Amino acid sequence: MVMSSLAPPQSTGLTGLAVSTNPHHTLAALYCKILRAVGKMPQESSYRKYTEQLVNERANALNNNKNIPDLERAVGCGQVEELIVQAENELVLARKMLGWKPWEKLVQQAPPKQWDWPPAQIMEPKV
Amino acid sequence: MAGREAVKRAVQQVRPILSVDREEARKRALNLYKAWYRQIPYIVMDYDIPMTVEQCRDKLREEFVKHRNVTDIRVIDMLVIKGQMELKESVEIWKQKGHIMRYWKESQDPKPTDFLSKFIQGVN
Amino acid sequence: MAALIRNLGARAAVAALASKHVVPAVGGAALRMSTCPPTKADKPTIRKPDAVARTHLSDFGRYVAECLPKYVQKVQLTSGDELEVLIAPEGVVPVLQFLKDHHQAQFTNLVDIAGVDVPCRKHRFEVVYNLLSLRYNSRIRVKTYTDELTPLDSACEVHKAANWYEREIWDMYGVFFANHPDLRRILTDYGFEGHPQRRDFPLSGYVELRYDDEKKRVVCEPLELAQEFRKFDLSAPWEQFPNFRNANPPAEVIPPQPEKK
Repeated sequence: MVMSSLAPPQSTGLTGLAVSTNPHHTLAALYCKILRAVGKMPQESSYRKYTEQLVNERANALNNNKNIPDLERAVGCGQVEELIVQAENELVLARKMLGWKPWEKLVQQAPPKQWDWPPAQIMEPKV
Repeated sequence: MAGREAVKRAVQQVRPILSVDREEARKRALNLYKAWYRQIPYIVMDYDIPMTVEQCRDKLREEFVKHRNVTDIRVIDMLVIKGQMELKESVEIWKQKGHIMRYWKESQDPKPTDFLSKFIQGVN
Repeated sequence: MAALIRNLGARAAVAALASKHVVPAVGGAALRMSTCPPTKADKPTIRKPDAVARTHLSDFGRYVAECLPKYVQKVQLTSGDELEVLIAPEGVVPVLQFLKDHHQAQFTNLVDIAGVDVPCRKHRFEVVYNLLSLRYNSRIRVKTYTDELTPLDSACEVHKAANWYEREIWDMYGVFFANHPDLRRILTDYGFEGHPQRRDFPLSGYVELRYDDEKKRVVCEPLELAQEFRKFDLSAPWEQFPNFRNANPPAEVIPPQPEKK
């Protein structure tokens, strides 16, 4: 998959993944949307913290590298089309997370001895 | 014992399978019964089983009456779900004739009860 | 020939990945491909877990627990380097969705769903999701629990592959999956009663089938075993795996928050 930086690549080499025409624009819009969705979460949520940190880093890399191969090298997570797919997934996830509210307290403690292994050590009868 | 079980069940906060109260569970069971009842003529015709429609409906009633003492809503739901699956298997002709005839258990002789027939069959 | 081509293709893909792969700029708990060669073991038949991979995995386990405190009950490493996330049954869909779609996880491949039956527990069934991240070359296991009558949420909306696996669990264990698009039997015969992988299901089954010559079809009869055939002694008199007597501990719990740096 040797790409010359002069001509745009004809194919990503991955089935079902078409070459993006304007990746910088798409990615910038997606990152913006992710940040907006994540911004509605409470400040102390770890998911918000880590996602913001990561998306900001990627957005910086996006701004600093106008050349696509440079951008791919700076992010180091696949081709730019794959980055778009990842960002789309993250956006869907972030919006679903708003409904699930995973930063709340543990919804249910495990019953005692539920995760003991091997189970033969549990001698008590079923409660 | 049964009372204690009932109390425990009432205290337990559990996630419902489908129905949230007894009335809904009863409706589901009745709907399933009606669906089977209406499909029986077609099942008899499609599978060409040596039974009349009336015999099949008696069998249907018998299968439902077998579980008449079930009170737990979730158990009723589970039975309804399984009955629904079985109905679908029958209607779509995924089953074969032998599977339908399994309900009558015709190749099984009833267990001997009095002494002499037990003695003759050699069981005790 | 086809296998050869596939092999070559795979190698080319790996080479392409390796040439592109630089360590991600983001710090923290990103999963990374471990490139260290395995250390030379004194017992060559026992695999020694790689220390670097272990740290990455436990870091990632802590990361998941921190991001989803509502659902994750416990994180542990089993067999040295297999990461397990033990979650509450309500969290099946959120946790799987998080692991699939988050930038740092990308566990897009659902390898298998398995069931475990431990009748002495209050919630007797465990349901185990095995996931694979092709991006980070890493595996994770998500476990949850349920009993005979509590429905679990179906993972079909997250992973399409879950469809048949969940049907299998339903058929073998009788765990009901809510919102499954097409839940029906997959392995057992039509008209089969019971769930064969439950521990209280007898090894020989309840019924036997035979061809009846008079009726010209297969008939089903309850199984009758003579008393002398009813004894199943399944334990062997010797120890099966003496080499593993002092192998890795079964599970090491990863504490939720280590010392803050």
